Amino acid sequence: MPLNIDILQILLHMLNFVILAGGLTLLLFNPVRKFIEKRQKQFEAREAENRENAQKNENDRIEYERKLAEFENEAEEMRQRLEQEAADTAKEYIDSAKAEADAIIAKAEADAEKRKEQILDSAQTEIGELVISAAQKLLADTATPERTQDLYDAFIEQASAGARKKADRNGQQAQGGGK
Amino acid sequence: MVVWITLIVGLLAAVIAVGLALGRGESESIREVMRDLVLHDRNKIRFFGLQVNPAVISAYTVTGVLLFAALLIRIFAVPRFKTVPGKFQAVLEKAVDFFGGMAEERASRWVTFVSAYIFSAGAYIFFSTLFELFGLQAISTGNKSVTLPAPLADINGALAMGIMSFAVILGAGLFSNGPKGALRVLKDFSLPISMSFRLYGALLSGLLVSELVYHYIALSFVLPVIVGVLFTLLHAIIQTYVLTVLVSIFYGEAVEPFKKSDKKRSKKNRKNESEGVKE
Repeated sequence: MPLNIDILQILLHMLNFVILAGGLTLLLFNPVRKFIEKRQKQFEAREAENRENAQKNENDRIEYERKLAEFENEAEEMRQRLEQEAADTAKEYIDSAKAEADAIIAKAEADAEKRKEQILDSAQTEIGELVISAAQKLLADTATPERTQDLYDAFIEQASAGARKKADRNGQQAQGGGK
Repeated sequence: MVVWITLIVGLLAAVIAVGLALGRGESESIREVMRDLVLHDRNKIRFFGLQVNPAVISAYTVTGVLLFAALLIRIFAVPRFKTVPGKFQAVLEKAVDFFGGMAEERASRWVTFVSAYIFSAGAYIFFSTLFELFGLQAISTGNKSVTLPAPLADINGALAMGIMSFAVILGAGLFSNGPKGALRVLKDFSLPISMSFRLYGALLSGLLVSELVYHYIALSFVLPVIVGVLFTLLHAIIQTYVLTVLVSIFYGEAVEPFKKSDKKRSKKNRKNESEGVKE
């Protein structure tokens, strides 16, 4: 044949290549390809896991932020409530203290007034006693039987004059009524 | 330093002078060498009772070495693979991923099968092309020492690769789309020939140039390093890439689901496009 083409040798070359292709496929190509595929699957699984973890982390972050916001709101509400309560309590204390103070002041004023009255009463009594004592003393010093007689006489005279005036007036009224 | 360089230059000059004066002492002329490299009709090697070209021995040697290496890797390296790969593991994974990705990108069915096929074909073309760099010798039936060439520098090896690739594509078309799919593949009847002769021509040209260079002792210094790299390493990479890409492309086309309206639609599209161009 031209170019020394030999069917037998072509077949020998084919046989050689078939042996080589089969051997390389079994010994090298398939194991390496399987290893690559296995690793690829591992990476994909890991990637999926990472995506899942990232999603979970994102959800956790959102949940955390939501809870944080809730806590902040709650804390703010609590703070405001406590402030209000503190203010109310303080107001109550102040009002109570003021009322107590007013009561104390009122009581003190009442006590003072009462005391004043007592003092005044006591003073009046003492003054009266002093006046009586002074009068007694004065009378004791100035009263004589003649003077006492004169005083009685003057008193009877004045009393008689008064009785007469009253009788006159009654008589005039009776005459006026008869007319 | 000067003495050292002078010594080297002197020795080189002596070697070249003696070589030119005496010749290589070979019985074969360059014409015979070239003819044998192209046709392989003289130096045959006995192989299990058959007389075969040296490329067959090269092919089985490469296969043996590759399978042995694969076995060692399977036993000692693969079980120790780590999630974060080392350098060697990264190279293996890159190779598998490269050919697997090439198939996945273009083929829609039986991707694992075609990935394994182009991985094996790529490994075979690459390492069998590099094989000629080692210059292993074998004894021919005429008791001559023959340098084992790259297996694909033999037309029979290249044809075997082209025919098998075509058979894979044809089979995929047949199983995927039935006889119509097979017919669609058969339209490209030149595919196995182009694949085979592309490989054969590329590798043979490199081999011939290398042989020309090695044949003359005056050219056997420094130049073979450059020529060897150019015509062997680059060929190995380029031809590996070309054949695997071609197989994956044609395979992808063959397994693509066959639509009845494809032809009509393509005609309609062509008509629309031509009208658009006229406008």
